[in-house]
Amino acid sequence: MLELRNVSKSFSSITAVDNVSFNARPGEVTGYLGPNGSGKSTTMKMITGLLEMTSGEILFDGQRIDRDPIAYKQRMGYVPEEPHLYAHLTGLEYLVMVGQLRNLPSKQTADRIDGLLRLLGLHGDRHVGISSYSKGMRQKILLSAALLHNPDLILLDEPFSGLDVASGLVLRSLIQELAARGKVVLFSSHELETVERVCSRVVILHRGKMVADDSIEHLRTLMSLPTLEDIFSQLAVEQDTAVVSRQIADLILNGRARE
Amino acid sequence: MNKLQFRVLYREFLFRMVDLELLSVQGDMTKLLGQFASLLIFASLTFSLPALNFPPRWMTPAQVTALLWSIEHFLIATTMLVIGLFAVLSWDSTFPNKHDVMVLAPLPVRTRTLFFAKVSAMAAALGITVVTVNALSSVTWTSHIVPAGSGFLGVVRSFAAYWLTMFASGTFLYCSVLGVQGLTALLLPRRVFLRVSAFLQMAAFCLFLCAYFLEPNINTPAALSATQNQRALAWLPDYWFLGLFHALNGSLRPFYVPLAQRAVAGLAIVATGAAGFFVLSYFRTLRKIVEEPDIVPGARGWGWTPSFGNSLDTAVVWFSTRTLLRSRQHRVMLAFYSGVGFAFAFFLMHAGHLREQVVNGRISIELMVSSLVMMCTWVVGMRVVFSMPLTLRANWVFQTTAVRSPSEYLKAIRRPLFVLGVTPVWILSAGLFLWLFPWRPAAQHLVVLLLWGLIVAYLSLHEFQKIPFTCSYLPGKSYFHMTFLAAVGLLVLMVRGVLIEYRALQNPASFAVMTAVLAAVALIARWRAVSYAASEAATVEYEDRPTPAILPLGLNRDGVWPV
Repeated sequence: MLELRNVSKSFSSITAVDNVSFNARPGEVTGYLGPNGSGKSTTMKMITGLLEMTSGEILFDGQRIDRDPIAYKQRMGYVPEEPHLYAHLTGLEYLVMVGQLRNLPSKQTADRIDGLLRLLGLHGDRHVGISSYSKGMRQKILLSAALLHNPDLILLDEPFSGLDVASGLVLRSLIQELAARGKVVLFSSHELETVERVCSRVVILHRGKMVADDSIEHLRTLMSLPTLEDIFSQLAVEQDTAVVSRQIADLILNGRARE
Repeated sequence: MNKLQFRVLYREFLFRMVDLELLSVQGDMTKLLGQFASLLIFASLTFSLPALNFPPRWMTPAQVTALLWSIEHFLIATTMLVIGLFAVLSWDSTFPNKHDVMVLAPLPVRTRTLFFAKVSAMAAALGITVVTVNALSSVTWTSHIVPAGSGFLGVVRSFAAYWLTMFASGTFLYCSVLGVQGLTALLLPRRVFLRVSAFLQMAAFCLFLCAYFLEPNINTPAALSATQNQRALAWLPDYWFLGLFHALNGSLRPFYVPLAQRAVAGLAIVATGAAGFFVLSYFRTLRKIVEEPDIVPGARGWGWTPSFGNSLDTAVVWFSTRTLLRSRQHRVMLAFYSGVGFAFAFFLMHAGHLREQVVNGRISIELMVSSLVMMCTWVVGMRVVFSMPLTLRANWVFQTTAVRSPSEYLKAIRRPLFVLGVTPVWILSAGLFLWLFPWRPAAQHLVVLLLWGLIVAYLSLHEFQKIPFTCSYLPGKSYFHMTFLAAVGLLVLMVRGVLIEYRALQNPASFAVMTAVLAAVALIARWRAVSYAASEAATVEYEDRPTPAILPLGLNRDGVWPV
């Protein structure tokens, strides 16, 4: 189980993540939601170890992740928000390198890479440079790299970004399948419809603070709202979206926005 | 043309001659440019100081004239070399990159505005380089190059002639490079052009450095008018511009006339050619940039990937090899260092005092020194290139997959320098020495060369904690003057060392002692590296940090040896 206890992160005087605590359990997909700049990716980076916390602690299976980061990283797979990859390598070269860095047996790595590339429809392009890949193809490489070592904890930051419909559907099922097989899956996305279908519980962040941590069903009942989108709007959207869109249209058409 | 758009783009292009993405978050672009300018001004100061005590009293008027011509020629040739190196280094910023095109294409910016902003930025950078490299020398040397009895107006004319010549020679070389670049961009498909570019850049580096160090000294009236030298003079543009300088200065001699004419004609041809090729290729490239990716490796895989130790060592070596093979910028930087090595080697090959020391005609002492110099510059160059990142934001993959201890990482970091640095130079040298030398001295020198390579590699990796190409770069951390002095010291050491080695080759006992000393130094260097990797201070760095203002004294606990 992944546990965040009073985790905070400040950059100079700005508090990006403020006292966040939640658990992500094996066998369920935890959705991590929030508007732009709410601190989702910062939290993800702290969980991966890319960023250090200002305060608080993160535990995985009862162990602080900074106590034995090597053992932790062996069990963690991560798909970042932006598909930053070494574009001068081919897809195959990149995945082989990840396997070697993770100290996986070469035969096993080769078989897994081959299988993942075939299943994700990239086998024919495995010798092509990543610089020539589309955003969706890059996303598939990231996903393959994150799953290559059969991790126990899977962190997905906007994993559907750039994927076509078919690949998106595969990924949606895959996330549920992995959770069903006992993996801890933490999944951040702006696509609320997908989150609603995939996640069993959600954590909602607003301005760095946690405003909800519950199952979607319970939140629906508690707030008497029909969809996750309505719940999210209620908790994390400050502006009246209709008013804002009218003001933008006014600004463009008339040069100033009406109050 | 929209003036505001032009100004914004001009500033953007001028300050982006260096790839900003590789800089550390604490990196300061102005500091980097300031360092570059101070380097050129330092060179200018060095050239200007001899003018304060000129002419030497013991010289005859004829000797003074010859020396003055040599100095004029040296200043022109140096300006051309600096501009040549600048042109090659700024090769990639000649055309807008893909990012520029993608950002600017949807905006209502005319292609013409973009083009003129680019040309103006290049002209400004060229002008600044010529001015900084000649700023002090133009002032101190003007009083010496004025023709006798020409008065104050003569001084003004000489000053103007000096600057016109320097700008003309710089423009000639810059336009030559630009013309070649434009022509190849025009003729070749963009993908092929990008691949050919790297080879053209390296060829230009070698050409400029070799021409600078190897060209004959033809600076006396007799030599300039000698028939046998006319062929060489026709191919050496720096002498053309020496002729042009004398024509502008009012000190024209008959033998300078054809050279001055050649300078004017050459400049006109090169400038026209460069303008034509650049304009045509510019607009073609702009279209092609959007359509084609910058780097496309072959579509066929290469199944054979030999191991270089454990899987981490292998991953780091292959990553380094592929980056070096596929990144133009890194190859050019490496070419710069190897070019300097070649130049030193050529210089040494022509150094008469070394040749005199050869006892056995079958063993070339110059070649022995050159091999050590090449090993040194290649390994140091490789180490410097490793510090420059590629796709910095992709380094998260190394951070999130760090499933081994820092000491294992530091061991893996050392591996590429041995595989890509020491080994190729040693193998090439082995082929050369076993072919040219008798087998015994060849084998003996190869042992020395290997030990020397290991020492240089271990020393250059001292406290180096970066996986090649993955850590941001922070400019201004190295001090050029100290590096320069260290390089000169190292060169003297290598020459002295080879003289000792040469004598030791005649005596097996001396050779054994020498090899033992070198082996001991290599072992100590290795022991230091391994001890550091095992220490608590060892970590893998991904962000280059400035040297702290306050340094710890490094006092050790009783009974603990400083490592």
